[in-house]
Amino acid sequence: MGARSDVVVIGAGHNGLVAAASLAKDGRRVTVLERSPEVGGILRGAEIAPGFTAPGIAHTVGRLRRSVVEDLELADHGLDLLTPAVRLFAPQPDGSAVTFWGDVGRTAEELRQRNPRDADAFVSFDRKVRAVASFLAYINVATPPDISAPTIADAISGLKVGWAFRGLGAKIGREAIRAMPMAVADLVQEVFEDEAIRGPLSTRGVVFTAFGPWSAGTAAMFLNDSAGNDGGAAGTAVFARGGTQALAAALASAASVAGAEIRTGAEVTGIRSRNRRVLGVTLADGTEIDAGLVVSAADPKRTLALCDPVELGPTMIWRAGNIRQPGATAKVDLALSGLPAFHEDPQRLRGRIVIGPSTDYVEKASDANKYGHLAEEPWIEATIPSLMDPSLAPEGRHVMSALVQAAPRDLREGDWASERERLGDVTVKTLERFAPGLGELVEARRVITPEDLETDYGLTGGHVQHAEPGLDQFFAWRPLNGEARYRFVLDGLYLAGSGAHPGGGVTGGPGANAARQIRKDTGRR
Amino acid sequence: MPERYDAVVIGGGHNGLVTAAYLAKAGKKVLVLERRHVLGGAAVSEEIVPGYRFSVFSYVVSLLRPEIIRELELPKYGLEILPLDGTITPLDDDYLWRVNDHGRTVRELRRWSLNDAEAYEEYGPLMAEMARFIKPILSIVPPDPGKVSVRDWLPLTPLAKTFKDLPRRLQTTFIQLMTMSAADFLDQWFETEPLKATMSASGIIGTFQGPRSPGTAYVLLHHYMGEIDGAFRAWGVPRGGTGTISEAIGSAALANGAEIRLEAPVARIDVHGDRATGVTLETGEQIEAGIVLSSLDSRWTFIKLLEDGVLDPAFKEEVLRYKYRGSSGKVNLALDGLPELACKPGTGEWLRGAISFSPSLDYMEQAYDDAKYGHPSRRPYIDMIIPTLLDPTMAPPGGHVMSCFVQYAPYRLAGNAVWDDAAREAFGQTVIETIEERMPTIREHIVGSQFITPKDIEDITGLTEGNIFQGELSLEQLFFNRPVPGWSRYRTPIRDLWMCGSATHPGGGIMGAPGRIAALEVLKGRKRARRVA
Repeated sequence: MGARSDVVVIGAGHNGLVAAASLAKDGRRVTVLERSPEVGGILRGAEIAPGFTAPGIAHTVGRLRRSVVEDLELADHGLDLLTPAVRLFAPQPDGSAVTFWGDVGRTAEELRQRNPRDADAFVSFDRKVRAVASFLAYINVATPPDISAPTIADAISGLKVGWAFRGLGAKIGREAIRAMPMAVADLVQEVFEDEAIRGPLSTRGVVFTAFGPWSAGTAAMFLNDSAGNDGGAAGTAVFARGGTQALAAALASAASVAGAEIRTGAEVTGIRSRNRRVLGVTLADGTEIDAGLVVSAADPKRTLALCDPVELGPTMIWRAGNIRQPGATAKVDLALSGLPAFHEDPQRLRGRIVIGPSTDYVEKASDANKYGHLAEEPWIEATIPSLMDPSLAPEGRHVMSALVQAAPRDLREGDWASERERLGDVTVKTLERFAPGLGELVEARRVITPEDLETDYGLTGGHVQHAEPGLDQFFAWRPLNGEARYRFVLDGLYLAGSGAHPGGGVTGGPGANAARQIRKDTGRR
Repeated sequence: MPERYDAVVIGGGHNGLVTAAYLAKAGKKVLVLERRHVLGGAAVSEEIVPGYRFSVFSYVVSLLRPEIIRELELPKYGLEILPLDGTITPLDDDYLWRVNDHGRTVRELRRWSLNDAEAYEEYGPLMAEMARFIKPILSIVPPDPGKVSVRDWLPLTPLAKTFKDLPRRLQTTFIQLMTMSAADFLDQWFETEPLKATMSASGIIGTFQGPRSPGTAYVLLHHYMGEIDGAFRAWGVPRGGTGTISEAIGSAALANGAEIRLEAPVARIDVHGDRATGVTLETGEQIEAGIVLSSLDSRWTFIKLLEDGVLDPAFKEEVLRYKYRGSSGKVNLALDGLPELACKPGTGEWLRGAISFSPSLDYMEQAYDDAKYGHPSRRPYIDMIIPTLLDPTMAPPGGHVMSCFVQYAPYRLAGNAVWDDAAREAFGQTVIETIEERMPTIREHIVGSQFITPKDIEDITGLTEGNIFQGELSLEQLFFNRPVPGWSRYRTPIRDLWMCGSATHPGGGIMGAPGRIAALEVLKGRKRARRVA
């Protein structure tokens, strides 16, 4: 005799919890099923050494959608956001460095010493990015239209987007359309002369993807990274007090208080359906939960793998097989006995520290993907959360989190079991070139390979964004043309994870959009 | 008192000539000004080695619009296209040989992979369908996304309708073609490396992109749109070399009353107030005209031929940031005999088609990686044609002409290196070494050679940075962004100055479409003007 629920949510990552919380608020009986012992997905932190708390795979939370924070009253649930004055610090091989501050004027002022022309260019570029991003924010809250059968609602929202677009004015409008399909390397090369500025900025277009900055469409990712937040040209750097898991806890609390039941250590092994209508889910221990609505925050491939292949049919299975999820990101967390010597002024190290001194450097690192080996000189985005929140590390010590690219999920030679330690060494070695002596500071380290991302976090292909955010898996065709409206393949099945529009990143966007769509389809309780 | 023309066309390339022919046909007094001593721009045949005629740059034809051949009666003026049969991809000890005979190709593919043979049966028709769907775009004047004008957007609505009503499968394919990399697109279908690599080649020809660069799947389709006598994806070589295409179009223009002047380089486009009134030649001679049409790329047209201060700075900036990035070179060889492929000895029909040096996707991608960082590919992709097997008149009896399109050869070299004679020689030798690996006897047959770098293409034809498409075919430089965002309608900020070359929609290749649409736009514009007056 199986239990019963109105809604079953698969996966307690940020999108799953956002969807669960807002559906529970409607008075639905919601059960959230999480495979691992704790909630949070890529927000899940860990104590990598006594007293050292490392953040999740995502180490900043600046892209969180404002409406999500407000609607779910996350502040009341203990979310305390910490915003340093600095956004991005980019050290150079020659010992110099470029710092991007939250204050555009201050950034320009410092850039002026390197290159006056670029200093002025930065100010207008930041303005342009904000304008285009504000337009993208519009698109990100919309449910993508169905190209084959646009409804009146689609027409209306299309008109709204059209107006938003016209609001940009002809010049920015043209610019938006021109920029989106561009390579981010071209975007920054058109504006800046100094590679020290181009390189670090270009990484924003390729982080958590298998692309290099010379790949078309990476400009869209760069711009989207600033959509609906205060990113501008340099991007955000926002931390949660207590680490990223504190955000997960706040979301979980919001969901529970709204009445959702969250079960951890409960792995869904099957989505039951009859005549393409969802009936419920089956758990690893054999228990069944009946539900008319199943909301999957897992990635699209994994979600479809849970379904009955006979119900899906061969065409859908073929199409699902072609969803591109080439994981290329690894994570190295370091417990440090002191502050690494990137710069004498620790203020500058409180945001994102990017090792990507030139677009060629970043591109070369990404080339490794194409031939299936770990980059010898990877590009790295690191943070030192303990600078903003000392409680994350013992007195006077620090915890450092480093996102490392490129580390392809599928290695041509060897496997990640044998390459794991080399990944850690390559990362420390690369960081040390910019922070001499960093190696000696390392007391402990945790290496997360793309394979771990697949096995421990359930990310198919080890892809943190659930599906490569290329132009071919975008908006009305993310993850698949005709399956982009959160309703996913079977009646009553919804996709609420990063594999759905507006895609990856800790925004809560897909979860919120999916919940809204469910309300539309089933009516508010 | 200088002569006055209705229209002056700058540049005697195939597009300039098409424009001139159509305007002359409509009764306009037209003058074409060509800088060089030969007509054709990048579509020229020249006798570089005594007795051997090379299609110096552009070497095959497929995209030439049938309506142009028809309306200008080009066959009457000597145009004859000899179809190329198939493509062979030589490997170390095997080969992949595809021919126009579908059945034979599928049998060949079965040798490699049953799945691929099966997929191939679906793939061809699907691409043909896609090409048919997208073809109308080739004759549309792109709208300006910056402003909402019903008249501009109207031509697109039937297209949007067709797209909406396409089966989901075709919609998806179209979206993928517009956004994917050639490699990712083909990976969905095929598993045979030489097949994927050789197919991906048409996605990167003339662009500074690798088969794994997003956006190259579109170029794949661009090359699928070619048709000869209604047969899609059919490639051929013109009898007498690509120059005969230009000569045929030129003759058509002359027959319709146009004038053509060779060795008449234009120094300046004369502008009075906000309108173009004619051109001044380098000799100082002034020619007045009602309108001026430039078949050159936008960099040359707006930066070299206009005096400073004429252009609005914002527009000038757009022109300057438009990307060219020539990526290809050419090696033309005069041979005293026919070389054989090591992997398929003999001199059979497989040499009569294209010979593609593209053994694997990695090979292609590595060739691109070299270029990406400013080096000519150590092992380049080569598209080889031996036109004399179809048209013996191109060489002395027993002799042969070998045309090798080579990618990649970046226009900008690493460091501050320049394309000097040494660099050119090194480039040519690398190509010959690469050929030698598959055709061991090639050197014994070489009696003369011509190595062409992107710099040479720029110097000889005037194509900026040696880009054969007058502007990189990247997604952000297509359709309404060609040749300059906001100026996709063949007009320019200067009244009576028009663009009519490959720089404009629908872009490069010996297609002639830009020249034709521009001419029709001019004639339409004139009519409208008269109606207003």
